[in-house]
Amino acid sequence: MTLPSTHLLIQTIILGLLVGGVYALMSSGLTLIFGVMRVINVAHGAFLILAAYSTYWLFQLTGLDPIISIALTAPLLFGLGWVIQRYILSRIENPERSSVIITFALAVTLEGLMGTFWKTTIRSVKPEYASEVLKFASYRFPVTRLAGFAAALLVLLILYLILQRTNLGRAIRATIQDRNAAQLVGVNVQMVSAVTFGIGIATAAAGGSLLSMIYSFNASSQTDWITRVLSVIVLGGMGSLPGAFVAAIILGVMEQLTAVVVTLYWSPIVFYLFLFLTLIFRPQGLMGEIVREKA
Amino acid sequence: MKRLLSSNGLWIGIALLALLIFPLIQRSQYYQHVMVMTMMAAVLASSWNILGGYAGYTSLGHAAFFGLGGYLVALAHNYFGWHPFVSTWFLGFVVLGVALVLGWISLRTHGSAFVVVTIAMVFIFRLVALNLSNITNGARGLTQPRPGWGGVPWSPEFIKVPFHYIMLILLCITIFASWRIRQSKFGLGLIAIREDEGKAEAVGINTMLYKVLAFGFSAYFMGVAGGIYSYFFTYIDPQFIFDVFTGVTMVLIAILGGRGTLWGPVLGAFIMEPLGNWVIGTFGGTQIHLTIFGGVLLVVMLFMPQGILPTLSDAIRQRKKAGMVKAPSP
Amino acid sequence: MLEVNQISKAFGGIKAVSGCSMSVERGSITGLIGPNGSGKTTLFNMITGFYPPDSGSILLNNQPIQNLLPSQICHRGIGRTFQITRLFWKMTVLENMIVPVRHTGWRTLFSQGVKKHEEERAMGLLDLVGLTQYSDEEALKLSFGQQKLVEFAAILMSDPDLILLDEPAGGVNPVMIEKIMGLVEDLNQQGKTFLVVEHNMRLVMELCQHIIVLDHGQKIAEGKPAAIQNNPIVLEAYLGSTNHAGA
Repeated sequence: MTLPSTHLLIQTIILGLLVGGVYALMSSGLTLIFGVMRVINVAHGAFLILAAYSTYWLFQLTGLDPIISIALTAPLLFGLGWVIQRYILSRIENPERSSVIITFALAVTLEGLMGTFWKTTIRSVKPEYASEVLKFASYRFPVTRLAGFAAALLVLLILYLILQRTNLGRAIRATIQDRNAAQLVGVNVQMVSAVTFGIGIATAAAGGSLLSMIYSFNASSQTDWITRVLSVIVLGGMGSLPGAFVAAIILGVMEQLTAVVVTLYWSPIVFYLFLFLTLIFRPQGLMGEIVREKA
Repeated sequence: MKRLLSSNGLWIGIALLALLIFPLIQRSQYYQHVMVMTMMAAVLASSWNILGGYAGYTSLGHAAFFGLGGYLVALAHNYFGWHPFVSTWFLGFVVLGVALVLGWISLRTHGSAFVVVTIAMVFIFRLVALNLSNITNGARGLTQPRPGWGGVPWSPEFIKVPFHYIMLILLCITIFASWRIRQSKFGLGLIAIREDEGKAEAVGINTMLYKVLAFGFSAYFMGVAGGIYSYFFTYIDPQFIFDVFTGVTMVLIAILGGRGTLWGPVLGAFIMEPLGNWVIGTFGGTQIHLTIFGGVLLVVMLFMPQGILPTLSDAIRQRKKAGMVKAPSP
Repeated sequence: MLEVNQISKAFGGIKAVSGCSMSVERGSITGLIGPNGSGKTTLFNMITGFYPPDSGSILLNNQPIQNLLPSQICHRGIGRTFQITRLFWKMTVLENMIVPVRHTGWRTLFSQGVKKHEEERAMGLLDLVGLTQYSDEEALKLSFGQQKLVEFAAILMSDPDLILLDEPAGGVNPVMIEKIMGLVEDLNQQGKTFLVVEHNMRLVMELCQHIIVLDHGQKIAEGKPAAIQNNPIVLEAYLGSTNHAGA
């Protein structure tokens, strides 16, 4: 272990914050899906990568900027998500037990398909500003990460407005709080589930587009990413959006700190450990509800 | 049930005989290899079934114990000269011990949370194996000397045969253990846990103890299998052996054949493993492999979650009942 | 035999039980009544270990049990039926009878000989409730009343000293109620203690020797059936609560 200088420490924290914002965006959909449907969508990582690939090909073929391509990838994946929920996931009788395996199967299938079509070549999107760095108060702000952070906040803001200001959003929030009660007051929970899953995957699309320009990836990266986003929502409290945001920032910072203070190679352990320990010792995470057992 | 057992006994006897003489008849290296892997898949699925089928706790993390067994045996071979065919049975108990501890920690979670915890377990093991390169040789992996006995390596034509027999022994032991558990009060308790954990606890079943024991028992067989595996391939590395996909494959096989039944996992293995090998052989590469496995798992989970064996036996039972007058219920 | 001292339990903001104290005499059939929401089932759940009380203690034969696991409490001799009958639906009646564990030990768990011995005892108990002919039937297939009897018989397998019955007459026809009352009285003669939650007043008044009344999570009265019937506080609790929509 090497103790870094204060400057390096702050620089690392800044990077952690920037990347945490993107993690927050990626995880928001996952926690929303859990809140409404009680489904842990283990395929979320695969959708992130699918969006990353879409952005990559859009960029390769048309030069479309990855951030702008969110306007395309998000609706596209919204539709895909909606279809998947409506025709596949809604058939699950026992979401508590089976949803993980089923979404895992989905993830594996997606990974296989992507790998078949696009091989194992490592990809990443490099817009012209890819290597530019903004300097402020002697700290470095890589443009891609800064732009990613800003885009993430923007999309999260839109999500927030949808949830708080629209009727759909109210229906979603009601379903999260109490599915049965929501049904009783006339909410069409099947429709809400399908739409929410769509929204969840759409935010994954946004996250994936950003991913493509900040990280390199191929089909098998989806397993790394699903563990990251799972850790975020578990730490934040499954079903809690503010929780996911806070947890994403915390984990982002911790990941960067571990990479610098210990070594890059141990940094993934931050996610695994938080995931493992939180589920066991504080399953409600930071801001989730305690689920009462038995009797 | 007793009537069924004696006719079952006949089938088991025939199957056992077939497996015993298999390597003598089938001389092709390739088919011998596939048979060893098939029996191993049956071992893994059957041991998974103890916790996953009987008790209903789906673990995707058993690759952790499989890999741990593999590493322990490889290390013991390289550092102490212990022959895997002997050491794996004992080192399996080390794996059992680790599993008891990890199980005691992680079985506080239920349902989906438990599945996720077991996934995290595999990743942690992988990362540790990758980074503790002083011991595990990190990403470069561990190799063992060519399989043989007493310092004399086995000839290339013969080399798969001893593995066939040791895997057969392991398979018999695993099935026997699964059967004994199923017949015992412990097994009934596991099933009670699956059906209604709260009620099981209320009637005096110490659910935590039962679950941890089930977790441990299944880890033992996986560890032993892992030990044989690492010798079979003479090479293991963290990416290769600590793979969640191995766990998912076990689950698919067990579910396909019939989750919670004695023979279901075995049946599933004898179908899926040769099929999988054929797919890889024909289409090549792991990506198609993933797609097909994922697709099959999806289809099975959605349309045939009971698996083949229970669906078949239900169909048979329906046929028998048709035509019999149902006893009136008061 | 059983002592509950100043027990409290709150769920979120709702105080299900607050400062409740009561006791059950050995060898008695004690009734526990009160309007809906008075905390009876919560109290049962705490006595049987499903969740610990926020404060207070529960003593069984002067030993504290409030932090034990349900299975440990079962081993100490408390059996319990559920308000909504809980059986292992896909198991046969006989299997349901054999599942309960009297005490956890290696031989108990892994020997098949134990299972044979328990089979005899199980059939004996099934005979007691008149259901031996259904021993190989899936529990799901029995009628509602029969399921209640099986649940009751299964509890007896672990030979409990104190039996908690949660609405044993709920949704059951009068003939069955008589049968259940008869069973309880017989077992009581043999020395078993009962704590019964019931809404069926006739059953409570006829069967129970001592009655405890709860309201809003606290004990408001106790005594012999005749005294309780005429107790103005009790009447007000029941009548008063029907004025509020649902309590």
